Amino acid sequence: MIQEIYSIEVPFRGVYRLQRLRFGRGRPHLAVVAGLHGNELNGIYALNLLAGSLAAQAPAGTVDLIPLANAFGIEEGRKHGPFDDQDLNRAFPGNPSGTAIQRVAYALSQATQADCCLDVHSGSWLVDELAQVRPPLDGAEVDLARAMGLPLVWRRSPRPGDESQLVDAWRQAGCRAFRVTGGRGATFDKEVGLAIANGVRRLMARLGMGTAPPGGRVEADITGEQMQVLRSSTGGFFVPEVAVGDAVHPGHLLGRVVAPVGGATLGELRAERAGLVATLRRYPMVHAQELLLRVASPQPE
Amino acid sequence: MEESQTSICRIELPTSNEVDVVRRRFRGSAGPRVALVAGIRGDTPEGVRVLYEVSRLLRHVAELRGTVDLFPCANPLAAHAGLHRWPFFDVDLNRRFPGRPDGHPPDRVAHALVQRVQGADLVCELRGAYRAFRVMPQAHVRSGDERARELASQANVEVVWERHPSTMAPTTFAAQLDNAIVLEGGAGNRITEGLGDELAAGVMNVLAALGVVDEQEVPVHWAAIQRARVVTDDQVLTVRADHGGIFLPQIVVGADLAVGEPIGRVVDPIAAREIALVVAPVAGRVLAIREQPPVYPGSLVARVIT
Repeated sequence: MIQEIYSIEVPFRGVYRLQRLRFGRGRPHLAVVAGLHGNELNGIYALNLLAGSLAAQAPAGTVDLIPLANAFGIEEGRKHGPFDDQDLNRAFPGNPSGTAIQRVAYALSQATQADCCLDVHSGSWLVDELAQVRPPLDGAEVDLARAMGLPLVWRRSPRPGDESQLVDAWRQAGCRAFRVTGGRGATFDKEVGLAIANGVRRLMARLGMGTAPPGGRVEADITGEQMQVLRSSTGGFFVPEVAVGDAVHPGHLLGRVVAPVGGATLGELRAERAGLVATLRRYPMVHAQELLLRVASPQPE
Repeated sequence: MEESQTSICRIELPTSNEVDVVRRRFRGSAGPRVALVAGIRGDTPEGVRVLYEVSRLLRHVAELRGTVDLFPCANPLAAHAGLHRWPFFDVDLNRRFPGRPDGHPPDRVAHALVQRVQGADLVCELRGAYRAFRVMPQAHVRSGDERARELASQANVEVVWERHPSTMAPTTFAAQLDNAIVLEGGAGNRITEGLGDELAAGVMNVLAALGVVDEQEVPVHWAAIQRARVVTDDQVLTVRADHGGIFLPQIVVGADLAVGEPIGRVVDPIAAREIALVVAPVAGRVLAIREQPPVYPGSLVARVIT
């Protein structure tokens, strides 16, 4: 059932509407949001796959899906929306009498209070990300995150700025909440969308809301210290030699930065430790010190 | 008099949202048909404001002899975001005319707009200044179009600029039509206090000149209407920066300059030194002045009419 949970008048074109798909009733209650960033689109597909399966078989409990949280940003193909060019995921917990984006943020966080809440993203438009879930370092969320069976579980400590994000607003309200991401911004990866949808169904099974689909396996379950982060030593054109999800060994050539005029190799990136390629730069023009790769290495050095 | 609103083109968005490009029609007894178009770019809200004022005035006229079609905002998605270009496609709608009926949304809007205004006795585009500039209230007409020049002279502007078609981009809205006037004023992406009322009075005065409304419907007395000076391309001098830097204007639009009088300075803000003084190449009145500071060698910083 499609419900309009919030609307706001906007100039020249009428009304911005926030829509929610609701399935089932009672508890447990799961809420899944996608499209907070208007150029991260894999979640739209994932949530609509879920909507299809939930329409066929109602959950034991309630599932709320919001596939287009930032519909205006999505229409413009941009991360931010037109509300003063602000990042919706830096406007939480929001304010019902604040700026337009704070009002939307408030309405969104209020409409998604649940026992468990997921915020689905893609990588930025610059990078491809392995399908992954990012729970906090410990607590009830870790077990739920692992239950999704996505290839990477990255347990993260709190960071400055988290408090303005939807996941943190949910946690402050007492929900178990975490971020799911995968693929690349501004593009669509069907496999990632399917993996995330199946991950949510496994989570629902863990919550006693349905049956788990087959498959799903955590390939790497790490904290930030176990993530190798490789940056460009120089500006140039980045040529990757691996793909996201590849297993790499110590010394493995991961990519090269070459001169955009002449093609001379300016730098090589090699794995320090064995692991799984979790993040890969896909937009080739790079500055010095930009993120090019992350390799999840469950065994620290 | 009848007032109606119709969609001339519905933009279906990937989110399933829809946005309409709207025509507001005021239809009276038999008479000329006039089309007024604003908001082709999303960063020229002055034109949108003028048509808001004109709509309010038309709603209260005692008699309308003819039809006035207002297109209050041709590019709602750009206007909504305050952008020069149509977002997502990142195209300048004023370089997509005459459009095509089977193209992407900007092309379809361009096509619908041209189709809807064709055959009108007069087409008038209203807009603010190009981004980065502040300009005197002015009208542009195609050189040789005597009737448009005559009507533009009554539009309560100081200057009517007769432009040779070769100086106009062929894919603009106004370039598609034989009988078009462009009314421009103010600053990019800004509303200038009082200007909207001046231009709205100008539009009403043009409608009175066409016999569509009575003279007493014009909100200013006829004696207060600006008497326009008609200039041709060779009387409009372009003043450019010779160096990169930031441009600091020293004059305002409408100022009268002697030859050699300072227009502004180009300075290097990092080294904190003045690079060049830009001076008036001729004696004349300032038609446009750059208000957005970064300039490159060759950037237009002012227009002066002689």
